[in-house]
Amino acid sequence: MMWAKVRPWLTSLYPRAWRDRYAAEFDVLLEQCLHSPLDVVDVFLGAVDAHLQLLNGDNLSWRMMNMLNKLRTTLLMVFTAFIGFIVAGFSLVGLADDSPMIPLMKTNLALAAAWTIIQIGSVVALLAVVVGGLPLALTVLRRALAGDRRSRGLLLVPVVSFLALLLYLAFVFLVGSGRLLIPGVVQVVQAGNFPAGNRLMMEGLMLVFILGAIASTWAVWKAISSTDTEQATFHAVGSNLTVNIYKFAFVPARIATYTMLVMLVATLAWGWLSFSALPGVFTGNFGPWGTSTQAWFSGILVLMLACTLVAFFGLRRARSARIQPEHGV
Amino acid sequence: MDTSDFGRFSDPALLILTSLAGGEKHGYAMMEDIEAMTGVHLGPGTLYGALSRLEQSGLIQAMPADERRRPYQLTAQGTAFLRQYLASLKNFVSLGLMRLGA
Repeated sequence: MMWAKVRPWLTSLYPRAWRDRYAAEFDVLLEQCLHSPLDVVDVFLGAVDAHLQLLNGDNLSWRMMNMLNKLRTTLLMVFTAFIGFIVAGFSLVGLADDSPMIPLMKTNLALAAAWTIIQIGSVVALLAVVVGGLPLALTVLRRALAGDRRSRGLLLVPVVSFLALLLYLAFVFLVGSGRLLIPGVVQVVQAGNFPAGNRLMMEGLMLVFILGAIASTWAVWKAISSTDTEQATFHAVGSNLTVNIYKFAFVPARIATYTMLVMLVATLAWGWLSFSALPGVFTGNFGPWGTSTQAWFSGILVLMLACTLVAFFGLRRARSARIQPEHGV
Repeated sequence: MDTSDFGRFSDPALLILTSLAGGEKHGYAMMEDIEAMTGVHLGPGTLYGALSRLEQSGLIQAMPADERRRPYQLTAQGTAFLRQYLASLKNFVSLGLMRLGA
């Protein structure tokens, strides 16, 4: 029983590349056979040997596994940055919604163009992430369906998060349509007067959305981090299609990252044009639930900038990890 | 392929290959089989050190995970290697015994 506490620590002594490949099964083995200090010493020596093997760099498989890890981390970084960008995008929609900027966009062409670029960018980035992540998602799904209970559990997280969001939206709809009466929550909110009940309800919605996004991103990280498959074969129109899932996802990841940059610039331009046309809006409280416009917009810009930087940092990391074509990856 | 490629794991590597010659097994089943077969207790670090080398060398391959355990099996290359090595060992044993008898 006492060895149960040192098990995770012992596994963590191994190099990352080794752990990605063997940690799950090695942990099961340790559960069954770690009985004495001699076993602990043996594991310790095994970890030292694994590090030396990696440091020697004379083994192509180890080097490739290390590079593959870097590439995988890059994709996950871009994916996480994209999720953060979605949160920022929804906040921007919340800021613009019912604000004087909406009627202004009908007459101000430059403002409308900036908004259109943001909308097109969001579609392009979403498509890039979906297309790039599809083979990876199918591989994880296939593993989950093949009986991997852990993968199944992880895949349930985004589904449950989405259902929770739908449930909460249904609740907001019922309240908004007057079918459900909640004390302190009014059906129609007057401009400049946002009751505490309504504010709480909308804060709840934001909380469910953000927590769901964080939980789903974490689950995807965990599921993909433990996917050791490089290639996946799919049956398509009567033939087999073999895809190198990480190499395939790299181009869409790059598209998504550059699209995020374009959207960041467009958002900055949109904000500047709005401020030039309606300075009063930015100094007022047109943020969601009557909060400061300036604070919301600054927060959105900071989040977008942080996400874009994370995505670019990921791409740069991958560039150093690109496997030479002659190695077949 | 030479057993010296496996460094201090050369003996465990042969024990694992011989164990897998009897059919696919996961880590703990290999340890038990090797102990029953030879009386040698392989520690978990030693076992997985040898397993990872054997897998990278293409002598064994991992099969789809069964819950959290992952069984391994010999590849065709691994079977050929083990057969060749055991045959050379047999010749060596015969020669040694012959010399002792002489």
